[in-house]
Amino acid sequence: MMTKKHQLQWGVRVGAVAAIAAGLALSGCGKKEEASADGVKPVGKITSIQNIGSDTMVNLAQAWAEGYHKVDPSVSVEVSGGGSGIGVAALINGTCEIANSSRALEPDEVTKAKARHGHDPKEHLVGWDALAIYVHPSNPITEISVEELSEIYKEGGKIDKWSQVGVTLPGGDEMIRVSRQNNSGTYHYFREMVVGKKSDMKLGSRDMNGSKDVVELVSRTPNSIGYSGLGYKTAKVKVIKVSKKKGDPHVEPSIATTWDKSYPIARPMFMYTPGQPEPHVQKYLDWILTDAGQKVVEESGYVPLQKK
Amino acid sequence: MSVPASSTAGLFTETPFIRKKRRTERLAQCLFGAMALAMVIPLLLILGYLVFKAAPLLSWDFLTTNPTNGMRKGGIWSALLGTVYLVVISLCISAPIGVLAAVYLNEYAKDNWFTRIVNLSVVNLAGVPSIVHALFGLGAFVLFARLDRSILAASLTLAIMTMPVIIASTKEALASVPVSFREACWNVGATRWQTIKAIVLPNSISGILTGVILQVSRTAGETAPIMFTGAVFYRNIPEGNVFAYGIKDQCMALSMHLYTVTTQVTNAPEALPYAIAVTLLGTVLLVNATAIVFRVWLRNRKKW
Repeated sequence: MMTKKHQLQWGVRVGAVAAIAAGLALSGCGKKEEASADGVKPVGKITSIQNIGSDTMVNLAQAWAEGYHKVDPSVSVEVSGGGSGIGVAALINGTCEIANSSRALEPDEVTKAKARHGHDPKEHLVGWDALAIYVHPSNPITEISVEELSEIYKEGGKIDKWSQVGVTLPGGDEMIRVSRQNNSGTYHYFREMVVGKKSDMKLGSRDMNGSKDVVELVSRTPNSIGYSGLGYKTAKVKVIKVSKKKGDPHVEPSIATTWDKSYPIARPMFMYTPGQPEPHVQKYLDWILTDAGQKVVEESGYVPLQKK
Repeated sequence: MSVPASSTAGLFTETPFIRKKRRTERLAQCLFGAMALAMVIPLLLILGYLVFKAAPLLSWDFLTTNPTNGMRKGGIWSALLGTVYLVVISLCISAPIGVLAAVYLNEYAKDNWFTRIVNLSVVNLAGVPSIVHALFGLGAFVLFARLDRSILAASLTLAIMTMPVIIASTKEALASVPVSFREACWNVGATRWQTIKAIVLPNSISGILTGVILQVSRTAGETAPIMFTGAVFYRNIPEGNVFAYGIKDQCMALSMHLYTVTTQVTNAPEALPYAIAVTLLGTVLLVNATAIVFRVWLRNRKKW
């Protein structure tokens, strides 16, 4: 066969391959290039801050990142979720600048971080979250005590029927417990505060992977009960009041009741840095504590820090 | 098939046996045709449903603006651009390696223990679930190679994932070139490389490219491998700048954005997840359509 011609064809084809490769690269971007004509000129050097961790805080962290972009466009905050455990792991591994955690670091985690980075991780209190108890709107229950919650969620706990907390549900008496996966800070906090560190959680609960998942499942399941951050409240679920002990006054989760500590299951939200943060990270953390930053907390449905 | 049917009708009188045969034939044709049609219906239904649900949000601005207001408003610019980066970079890594490896395996390798081990690992690598690739990427690229969570680390992870499939499809394309072509070439004194260059590759390039380009859809759609290696929940980038991401940056991606919007963002507009899905599907279909057009064009140039 005619080798000369073949080589020619081959040349044509190589050209075609190159053209397609270029076309591919451009077809993806072509539309955007038109947009850049009237669009923003690229901002000089963009510094990025890696911010990872708590699932409870991820929406808040996103809102902060969005707000801060308007304050300082040269800093780009990269937010990821996954859970407080993922944030703490990233803090220890040194793969993030800021770790979000909806629980305080455990002593062995501090040791590990210190071993890795040579100094203690630095804790920054950035807001509060009231842990709300969610039920289906059709559920007549209005309040519950921490003791009852403990009996519901604890291994060997006695309550597994709605009639035992004094309500009758047309849909069925069986109580469906909605909980979180075990690397969740919300799970840790709930277990520590409600169930007690020594007890295990009762098996057979629905363990969801995200704060929103809990609320969604409760909104679809008439005889369920679940816990999740107050920031995840929607119109399709009911938040009930909580008391410390049976007989104590029932308290509605809110900013005021979190501040005066009368709501029993409110917790601090932390941001951790592997040590003294770099100036641009410190500036971001400082901004979070300003009025503007704390307003974002309130708008996202969490509880801001109390003004001094 | 109408030609032999009419010629038989002209030659023989139609017996009940022949009529029965033709009836069965038509029945079989209808049945198989219906099955083929049934393949198209789900795609159309999915597309129609998604577009219908997404309609209120779909606009040019949706593609070219960043998400705002807790990702409830605005567009998906940063996610769209992130997906484009991940796909392009990972294919730039996996395609050359995959194609060259396949050429070696198909054209040079003798059937010995080494080749068998390579083939076995390719097959096994293709069968590894994507979440395992994710953990491997996290361990190897993010932590060990100190690339941190970045577009580069995520693209490398995706490349490892797509490479075995590219090798397999390339090998198939190469094997479809008849051995007699190569033998003819060798017999006039050409070396193996000359044969590959002049005969094998030109005749199989359309198949190779199809295999490579089809990996775009897989790369664009995967969430697990990029979740730990470089994709973020949120990141703000300059709108309208195609070079907004650096290779060491983390990025948003459409698949991940779809996941977070449905599982994490409360009170998001109902159309938002659908609009993201339509964009993802649209991007993939666009690339696939390009691949098909290109393949047809190349095949028409084939001389045999």
